[in-house]
Amino acid sequence: MTLSRIAATTTAQLKMLFRRRITLFWSLVFPMILMTLLGLLFGRSIDAGTITVIDRAGTTQSQRLVAAVERTDGVSVKRDRTDPARAEQEVRDGDRDAVLLIRRAGGDQVEAQLFYSNASATQAGIIRAIVTGAADKVSIAASGGPPAVRTVAVSVDSAALDYIDFLLPGILALAIMISAVIGLSTVLVDWRKRGILRRLKLTPMPLWEFFVSRIAASLALAMLQVVVLIAFGAVVFGIEISPTAWAAIPVALAGALCFLAMGFCVGSLVAEPETADAVTNVITNPMMFLSGTFFPVAAMPAVVQTIAKVLPLYYMANGLRDAIVRDRGLLHVLPDIGILLAVTVALALVSLRTFKWE
Amino acid sequence: MPPRMSAHPAIAVSGLTKRYGTFVAVDGVGFDVRQGEAFGILGPNGAGKTTTLEMIEGLRRPDAGEVYVLGRPVWPDPRSVQQLIGVQLQSTTLFDKLTARELMELFARFYGRTDGRARADDTLALVGLEAKADAFAEDMSGGQQQRLAIALALVHDPEVVFLDEPTTGLDPQARRNLWDVIRRIRAAGKTVVLTTHYLEEAEQLCERVAIMDNAQVIALDTPAGLIASLGADARVSYVAGGEEQVLYAADAQHAVLTLLDEARTQGTAIENLSVRGPSLEDVFLRLTGREFRE
Repeated sequence: MTLSRIAATTTAQLKMLFRRRITLFWSLVFPMILMTLLGLLFGRSIDAGTITVIDRAGTTQSQRLVAAVERTDGVSVKRDRTDPARAEQEVRDGDRDAVLLIRRAGGDQVEAQLFYSNASATQAGIIRAIVTGAADKVSIAASGGPPAVRTVAVSVDSAALDYIDFLLPGILALAIMISAVIGLSTVLVDWRKRGILRRLKLTPMPLWEFFVSRIAASLALAMLQVVVLIAFGAVVFGIEISPTAWAAIPVALAGALCFLAMGFCVGSLVAEPETADAVTNVITNPMMFLSGTFFPVAAMPAVVQTIAKVLPLYYMANGLRDAIVRDRGLLHVLPDIGILLAVTVALALVSLRTFKWE
Repeated sequence: MPPRMSAHPAIAVSGLTKRYGTFVAVDGVGFDVRQGEAFGILGPNGAGKTTTLEMIEGLRRPDAGEVYVLGRPVWPDPRSVQQLIGVQLQSTTLFDKLTARELMELFARFYGRTDGRARADDTLALVGLEAKADAFAEDMSGGQQQRLAIALALVHDPEVVFLDEPTTGLDPQARRNLWDVIRRIRAAGKTVVLTTHYLEEAEQLCERVAIMDNAQVIALDTPAGLIASLGADARVSYVAGGEEQVLYAADAQHAVLTLLDEARTQGTAIENLSVRGPSLEDVFLRLTGREFRE
């Protein structure tokens, strides 16, 4: 009896959810608009990207080399103190375009190791040409003796992505987050304020059934978002969808659960619908910019990178990106799913403690 | 449907008390409601009517006292009476974006019923909303929403129906429509308990009325019995010397003649003279010394 009642209640919840036009706007239309705008603005970038420079030599020659690279158009330079092995891994992961590691090679000579992504032949060619050109300039200027800079170019198989490929999973993560947090927090506050929860308390149906049905309806919405937004990206922007994309479904479900729990938390703590709106904005807006939804986290300052790694949206965006465009299957995204579910449990425990009927 | 008879009263309440800090919202209230009866709890705002009702419905736990519905104790586990009672709360508690029929079917499910469609159609017809079965609650008028809330209270065919200020905020026409609905519920053999701060409503609809003031029941009887307790046949009011005077008279004719005689001999002017039968308003005034303000 309970199961059939949950099924009937879920059907009603789906009607309540989908008959509200604003739901469809925020969950599907708005993400499409955002993706189109950002796609048009930054689209398929033809510049060479960013070279991360790790200068371990610190000599006049190395400084001249960096300056020469910086003076070249078509590439931007970011100085970094990251561990070289990690930086190389980040090139492999597609989080960095290229890394230039400069070390002393004996005497005045420096060795410049360039790790570059071979994902795009054009980009790789430009980066190599820029770095070798700069190295030649420095060597010629030094004149006499052995060349001042010895360059070693290392091509790296990487999952580097076109911007639009990068963007699609980020937008999807964002859309799922907004639908889940706002969807559950405002509705919970509204039901409580209007006395609907008290009215339900008078029926033999346990309230957990009612929330389970609401969560089921919200998860169905998240599934719809996965399918529609991926199809949108593939059709409109010609994004090549990895065969592992089905693994986006468990990631999206875990992410939706996590943000539903967050919405429930907000809805439990807040009394007025306007306050619920404000609180969800305060939570979701910074998360949107700090979690690598629009731009790679690796390209951001170290502080932001640290913050990103404690935000659940980062893990949902990361997992979705791995599954949808990086050709990485379920095993690879399991840690992301695990983190999202752990946060879900923590938030659910908080909401159970703070939940109020009226 | 004939009323289902059993030895128990529909509701038995004794010593019911609810405190919020030092404020006593309900203070030792006790009464019985008979099966099939329409019972009114009448009183001004803040008298404790809603709190009393909610303790009977199982929404608020009493600090003291006992409540039985058809012989079953409501506390400590109100779930034991949920199938027996139907409740319309004071605030409008309808979901948006579900039609009247969908809401009815959903609530029927909540009560474990699988005949939701038939119950929805029957009950919507009972409250006169059959034409609105496919309309969303948020698109209905206040009176229609209130009738829908009452239909939801009836969907599982309960024995006892609680209506908390069902006509508050409605225009006179909508109020009269709702009275007809309540009479039909009575005719279907249900026990109806309603709170109201409209004296006329209590007089029109209720077989017995409990008058509440300051957290206590100060009188309980039929409307006629309450009025008879005044011992007056008429309420005579007039303005003399700029001040309103009210007197209750056992014999209206004699009282008016005497009044006019005295006025003529003393040469005072009597203005705005009115004579009418006494009402519950006068009962309240007599019991509390205050005017009843709606």
